[in-house]
Amino acid sequence: MTRATANRAGALARRVAGHVARGLVMIWLVATISFVIIREIPGDPVLAMYESMLQKGMSPDQAERATAVLYGFLPKGSLWEQYTGYMGSLLHFDLGRSLSTPGVEVTSLIGSAASWTVLPVLAGTLLSFLLGVTMGVYAAVRRSGRLGDLLALSGSLLHGVPVYVIGLLLTAIFATLWPILPSGGPVDVEFTPGLNAGYLGSLVRHAVLPVVTYTLASYGGWILAMKSNVVTVLGDDFILAAELRGLRRGIVFRYLARNAILPLFTILALSIGMLFGGSIFIEEIFNYPGLGLLLVNSISSRDYALMGGTFLVITIGIVVANIVADLLYSVIDPRVRSGGTA
Amino acid sequence: MKRLATFAALMAIVTATATACGGAAATDAGAEVDVYTTIDGTKQINASAPINPFNPVGSVFTGYNGMALAWARNHPTDPNRFYPALARSWTQSPDGAQVDIHLQPEARWSDGKPVTSEDVRVSIGLAYTQGGTAYALDPKAAGAAADVRVLDAKTIRVTQGANRSAAFLANLLSTVVVPAHVYGALLPRGFWDTLKVAQHDRGPAGERAKAVITGLADKVIAFSPEQDVSAGPFVLERVNPGAALLRRNPYFYNSRAIGPDKVKVLNYTGNEQIWNYLISGQLDNAPFTSVPAAVMERIRGARGSQVITGYSPVATSLAFNQSHKPYDNVHVRRALAYLIDREQVTRIAAPEGGTPAATTSGIHAKAARAWLGDGFAELEPYRLDPAKAAAELRAAGMKLRDGRWTMPDGSPWKVEIHVPASFSDWVSAAKSISSGLGDHGIDATVLTAADYSLYLSELAKGEYDLGFWLIGLGPSPYNIFQRLFGQANGWQMFGGRLTHVPPGTGGNWMGGPRTVEVAGEGLVDPGELTSRLNYVSPGEQRRIVGVLARIANEQLPAVQLWDYVNTQFVNTSRYTGFPPDDSEMLRLSSGVWMQLGMIRKRQP
Repeated sequence: MTRATANRAGALARRVAGHVARGLVMIWLVATISFVIIREIPGDPVLAMYESMLQKGMSPDQAERATAVLYGFLPKGSLWEQYTGYMGSLLHFDLGRSLSTPGVEVTSLIGSAASWTVLPVLAGTLLSFLLGVTMGVYAAVRRSGRLGDLLALSGSLLHGVPVYVIGLLLTAIFATLWPILPSGGPVDVEFTPGLNAGYLGSLVRHAVLPVVTYTLASYGGWILAMKSNVVTVLGDDFILAAELRGLRRGIVFRYLARNAILPLFTILALSIGMLFGGSIFIEEIFNYPGLGLLLVNSISSRDYALMGGTFLVITIGIVVANIVADLLYSVIDPRVRSGGTA
Repeated sequence: MKRLATFAALMAIVTATATACGGAAATDAGAEVDVYTTIDGTKQINASAPINPFNPVGSVFTGYNGMALAWARNHPTDPNRFYPALARSWTQSPDGAQVDIHLQPEARWSDGKPVTSEDVRVSIGLAYTQGGTAYALDPKAAGAAADVRVLDAKTIRVTQGANRSAAFLANLLSTVVVPAHVYGALLPRGFWDTLKVAQHDRGPAGERAKAVITGLADKVIAFSPEQDVSAGPFVLERVNPGAALLRRNPYFYNSRAIGPDKVKVLNYTGNEQIWNYLISGQLDNAPFTSVPAAVMERIRGARGSQVITGYSPVATSLAFNQSHKPYDNVHVRRALAYLIDREQVTRIAAPEGGTPAATTSGIHAKAARAWLGDGFAELEPYRLDPAKAAAELRAAGMKLRDGRWTMPDGSPWKVEIHVPASFSDWVSAAKSISSGLGDHGIDATVLTAADYSLYLSELAKGEYDLGFWLIGLGPSPYNIFQRLFGQANGWQMFGGRLTHVPPGTGGNWMGGPRTVEVAGEGLVDPGELTSRLNYVSPGEQRRIVGVLARIANEQLPAVQLWDYVNTQFVNTSRYTGFPPDDSEMLRLSSGVWMQLGMIRKRQP
C-alpha cells in the first residue's frame, strides 16, 4: 500500500467515524425528544380500546374482560424513571413490548412490518426514479417537441395529485369497477408461503396497485427535477465541446445524464432512507401492513413503546441514508472528493 | 417511432398480463366455492399476535376457532338467554348461586382429544389471571365465582360468592374454553390453593396471593401455541396481515351442520375497505358496518347482496357536563332537547344504521317498550318544539337579546359540541344539531378531537360541555344504566362498596347531582339504584328500570338521539340459509350461525 493510498484510507476512516458519531448523537437526540413527546400525548389507551369494543358491538362485560389486563401494560413510574429505563433497554436493543399487540415484542412487530414496507416502497421509489429520470432527459432533449411537452405536462399533473387520490382512483377502477387486482392485503392467505409460483404470483398481484400508486405519485417530481437539471447542463461548455468533437451521441448522453443526475442522487438516497417510514396513505388504502400503517395504528392506540420504536427505526434509516449519500456522493462526483478543486 | 412502437407493445404485454392475472383470480375464485369469506367485526387481524383467545388481538375468531360455553342471544331484556355451545345445557339453583354445566358429550378438540370438565376448570383458572366480571379476585366483588368443582368428565359446578349478581350466569356462560393439555402448564402448581387465599384472606397473605395470580396475566396473554387446537367448527390454518384462513375441524361435535370447507376472514383498515369488499361481492357476510346511503345503494346493487336488520342494544346520545354552566340547569338541558330534530339528525347521520330515538329513557326503544310497557308512552317525548324550548330557557333565566339567547347575566352563550373527528356519523349529527340550534337563536359550534383516544381522555377530564356518548348498552339492565349513572357520572364500585366522587375527579365528567327528587319515590340516588340492578329479583329490576328511565327522561343527563339498528350484509350468490330479520342470532358471528345449523352452499 502506498503512502498516498494509506492517507486516503485514513481520511476516509476518519470521515466515516465522524459521520457515525454525529449520527449516533442525532439518534440519541431524536429518541429523547420523541420519548418525551410520545409520553405527553394525551389519551387513555385502555379506555379507548374499551369504548372502541363497545362501538363494535361487544357487551360491556366482554369489553371489560378483554381490556382489564391491559392496565398492567401501561408505563409506570415518573417520566425520568421511564426515560432511564427506556434508554437502558435501547442499549440492549430492547424496544419494549407492545400494548396494542399485548405480549409481543416491538422489535418483532417492526421487523415484520419493515419486510412488507420494503417491497412496495423500494420498488415504487426505484421505478419512479428510473422512469422519471429517463423521461426527464427525454423531455429536456425534446423540450420543443410535442412529446417533450406531453411528458412535462404529465409530470406536473401527477406531481399535483395527492397520493391518496391516485390510490383511491386505482382501487375504484382496478379493484371495484373492473376487479382484476386485489384491493387490499399483501398476499392471498390461501397460498402456502414459500418459493412457489402461486405464492409469488399472489405477492406480485397484491403489490401491483401499491407500487403503481407510489410510482405515479413520485414520478412527477423526478421528471420535473431531471428535466430542469438536464436543460441547465445542456447549456454547459463541456456538452458543446463534446458535440463539436463529434463524440457519439451515447457518450454525450452519458456526460449529460451523469452531471444532471447528481442533485437527484442525494434525494434518491434520502428517499430510500425514508422508506422505513413507509407510505402511510398507500399502506392505509391498500391495507398493506408496512411501517407507515404500524406507526398510524400505534398513534391511534397510544402504544407508546411501538410509537417510540417506529420513530427510532425511521430516524436510524434517515441518518444512515444521509451518511451513505454523503459518502457515495464523493464517489460519483470527484469535485466533492477533492474539495471542489477538480 | 420505432421506440414508441416498442413502448406501446410493452404496455400491451403488461396490460395483457394484468388481465390474465385477473382471469386467474377469477378461476381461483371459481375453485373456491367452499370458502366462506367474511370479516371479524370486533377486531382487525394482527398476524403478529398469538393464537390465543386471552390476547385481545389474538388470531382466534369467535364462533370459528374460538369457543365459549354458550352464545348470548340478542334478547332485549334478558341477558341470561343463551344458545348452547360447548355447554350442551346448564342448570342454575333457584337462588342463582350455583350453576351446573353439562358439556357436549361429543365435543373434541381438533387434535382428537375430548373436551372435558378439566378444560373448563383450567380455562376458568386462566380467566382469573385476567380479572373482571365473574373472575374478579376481590372477595367483595359482585358475581365472582368462588368455587369450581369438577363433578365428572363432562359436568362442572361453579358457585358464586356471597355477594351475588344477576349477571353471574351470563358471565359464566361467556367463558372462553381452551384445551388444558395446551394451556394447563400456564397455571403453576398450587394455583387453586393460591386462588382460595386470594379470595378469602383479607390480610397481607391475601394481597400476596392476588399479586401472584395477577402476575400471571402477562404470561397468559403472551402465550403463543405453535398451532391452533380448537373445539370449534374450524381451526386456524394460516394467517397473514391481509387475512386468516380457517379449515374445517372434523372433530367438531356438530360437524355435519357446517357447510363451508374453509373460512377466509379478510382484514380491513377502515370502513371504506369493507364497502369495497361488499360492492365487489367478495364477502358472504359482513357484520354491522356504518354505511352512508350512497354506498348502501351500490352494495345493494351487487349480485346476491342482501341486507338483514335486527335489534342492536345501543343508542347514541348527546351528553351534558352538568358541572358546567348553564348545563347544570335542567331547564337548559330540556330546552336543547326540544330544539334537536332527531328525525333530521338521524336521516343525516345514520340513515341506515339508526332509528330516531322516540324519547330519552336511557334505553333502546325496543328494550324500553319491553321493560316499561305502557310507562314508555308516558315519558315526555321531547318532540321538536321551539315554543317549549323558549319557555324552558326563560325558566332557566336565560335572556333573549337581538334574537340570540344569552346567559342569565347577559354574557354570550355558545354551545360547544365535541366529537371525535374519525366518527363521521357523529360529526354529521353534531353539525346538524348545531345548525338547528343556530336557527333558533342559540350560537353553537362543533369541535372535533383528533382521535377517539384523545376525545375520551378530554371528556373524562371534564373539559367538554357536551359530547357524544353511547348509552343503553343492553341487555343487562345494569349495563344499560351504568352509562348514565355509573363511573362517568361519579358512581364507582370499589371493594364491593359504592362511592360517589365529585365532578372532574375519577372520570366523573357528567357531573350530575348525587340524588334527585322523583315524584312518588322521594329523594333517589340513581347510582345506588343502578348498582342494585345487579342483584335484585326480576320484579324489583323492572321497578328500578322504570324509576331510572323516568329520571333519565326528566333530568336529561343526555339527549338520546338515535337507537342503532344492527344492519348485516349477506351475499346469497354462494351460500343461503342466513338468519332472518330480527333474529336473536344477528349479533353473533357467521361461525355461530353455522354451528346452529344455518348457512348452506347454494345448490346450482
